[in-house]
Amino acid sequence: MTMLDIQNLTKIYGKHTALAGVTLSAHEGEVFGLLGPNGAGKTTLLRLLATLLTPTSGTASVAGHDVQRDPEAVRRVIGVVNGGMGLPARLTGREVLRSFAGLYGMTRAQTDTRIAELDERLELGRTLDVRAGEYSTGMRQKVVIARAVIHDPAVLILDEASSGLDIFARRTLLDFVAATRAPGRLTVYSTHVMSEAEEVCDRMAILHEGALVTVDTLPQILSRTGERNLERAFFALIRGTPNGAQAHAL
Amino acid sequence: MPSKRSSETLRPAMVWRVAVRDLLATLRDRRTLMGTILIPLLLIPLFTLGLPQLLGQFVGGQQQERQKVGVVGTLPGALRAALERDEKAPDGTVTRAGVTLTPVQDARTAVQNGDVEAVLRAPAALPTRAGDGTGTLEVYAKLGSLRAQTGAYGKVQDTVEAYNRTLTLDRLTALGLKADTLTPIQIKPVDASPPQQQRSGQLAFLIPLLMLNFILTGAMATALDATAGEKERGTLESLLVSPVRRGEVVAGKLLATTLTALTSACFSVVGFLASGLVARLLQRGQSASSTELTQAFGGQLSLGFGSALALIGTAISAALLISAVLIALSIYARSYKEAQTYVTPLSLAIVIPAVLLQFSDFLTLGAALYAIPLFGSMLAILDTVRGTVTVSHVLIAIAANLLGAFLLALLARRSFGREEVIFRN
Repeated sequence: MTMLDIQNLTKIYGKHTALAGVTLSAHEGEVFGLLGPNGAGKTTLLRLLATLLTPTSGTASVAGHDVQRDPEAVRRVIGVVNGGMGLPARLTGREVLRSFAGLYGMTRAQTDTRIAELDERLELGRTLDVRAGEYSTGMRQKVVIARAVIHDPAVLILDEASSGLDIFARRTLLDFVAATRAPGRLTVYSTHVMSEAEEVCDRMAILHEGALVTVDTLPQILSRTGERNLERAFFALIRGTPNGAQAHAL
Repeated sequence: MPSKRSSETLRPAMVWRVAVRDLLATLRDRRTLMGTILIPLLLIPLFTLGLPQLLGQFVGGQQQERQKVGVVGTLPGALRAALERDEKAPDGTVTRAGVTLTPVQDARTAVQNGDVEAVLRAPAALPTRAGDGTGTLEVYAKLGSLRAQTGAYGKVQDTVEAYNRTLTLDRLTALGLKADTLTPIQIKPVDASPPQQQRSGQLAFLIPLLMLNFILTGAMATALDATAGEKERGTLESLLVSPVRRGEVVAGKLLATTLTALTSACFSVVGFLASGLVARLLQRGQSASSTELTQAFGGQLSLGFGSALALIGTAISAALLISAVLIALSIYARSYKEAQTYVTPLSLAIVIPAVLLQFSDFLTLGAALYAIPLFGSMLAILDTVRGTVTVSHVLIAIAANLLGAFLLALLARRSFGREEVIFRN
């Protein structure tokens, strides 16, 4: 089943084209990677999918809901994490999770059961009852992830979610992402760290300067480029784009 | 596809959830709690009771103190004696001390150096009985100083007036005339203002200023934290990707901000009422000057049920309006600090009209003035405090505030939907 269907999606800010006619799809059971350097258009694409931005042209649907025609339905089925997301400093992790569960119409019993599940999966422990202002980066990101999945969304969108995490927190995150691979679910994992994509993504789209360079599985990308790892393959692929050679030289 | 109408409908449960989240964050902040609850509770009694008490004691102390007054040249003996004489109550206690006269060379220098508090200089001999011509007595003192006005200068002025009266009366008596010959008609002032207005005091115009200022202070912390603060922390984005509608986000934040502002306003009203009660107890044992000053500062405020209702209604609508202004403005800011620079000038929008209120007696208070958002509330609060409020004026003031709040909430709703505003960081 197609969980993500993007057709010719374009976003222009004034004279700057942040996303230029991207077309791709992703399916249930996948961890779908979105790769590219800073400024490639990854965040813009994910914000369009999260209904935070309005496309200049093109269409996108998430779990069958059109982002422009039914944004509220889209927001009900997605969970979003990005590297810059924070938490209210004076609330505890548990209070944050309960507050968001309420926005999804979950009862207190459902919420508490779900929090217990997430506590186990993300190793939240005492973090849950400490005010967010006292969290380390890793603790904060774990609670941010728990908040994004409190309602068990069909589509999980992670945008540079490992940014600033130490090795332990990053491992927990990658294990968590790998475990989201399930029927009826899709995880979109955006990163510029190629090794992370190699580890957790089933298929990946490479974006460069707002344009889609390729969408494929890791073995296919490596085979097509003849490179031994994704980072080398990435550079090989963008050499074929208008500014790719220059980017490679830099 | 959902209709436009349903996507705009506000769901009260969602609005409340957004509000609770912001309220919880506010309640956990000690500084905000201090500003919302403690400051109004402490500052108002301090202002309406403590300050007048202090001034009263200061003025009373000046009466009891024996100031040094310099003299250049000579003064009539009777005037010297009158200046130095203590005024006493029948039981012998001194009610007003006289002054100590001391010779000085240079009047101006002596005052400026602080050697004496005033200097008397008679360029020519002063008359010792009425009808012997007139004389001029120069009194050197720091005339802008309250200490001089209530101390040495005031005493000299009163004593010279009494001396003049004595000379005149002596002369009238010598001519076989009675003392009231000079004042065939005497004025007896009778305060015809309503009892509540009498109790509210001459500085009652400060009450709207204080109330609205506390509403602004109470609202500011929550509004800024719930908008620019959320952007800065990266928590707004997570709220906007949840199923909450933009209108619900705005309404929830408006509700949280208004409730905090109202809490502050309620505690300011409690502060006023508590001051009124304490003032009555204190006045049993305080001097007349303290009582007058406490009265002037509005320390005897008391409200009936209707007045309290009018005050509450006006405060709620003003809190809504101020909250809407704050939210509509601060959502544009990239950070809490930037938002503070946007909203700080708002206090002028309260202070300037509130200061104008002291001239409200000169204004023809037509309905149009009550229809000015915020200023109308100030007039309505002042009328309520003075007991001259009318239902129609209160309703106009409330309606004007609500209309303003509604329009600003629409503007805020629009801003929350604009990419360039939400991601302006």
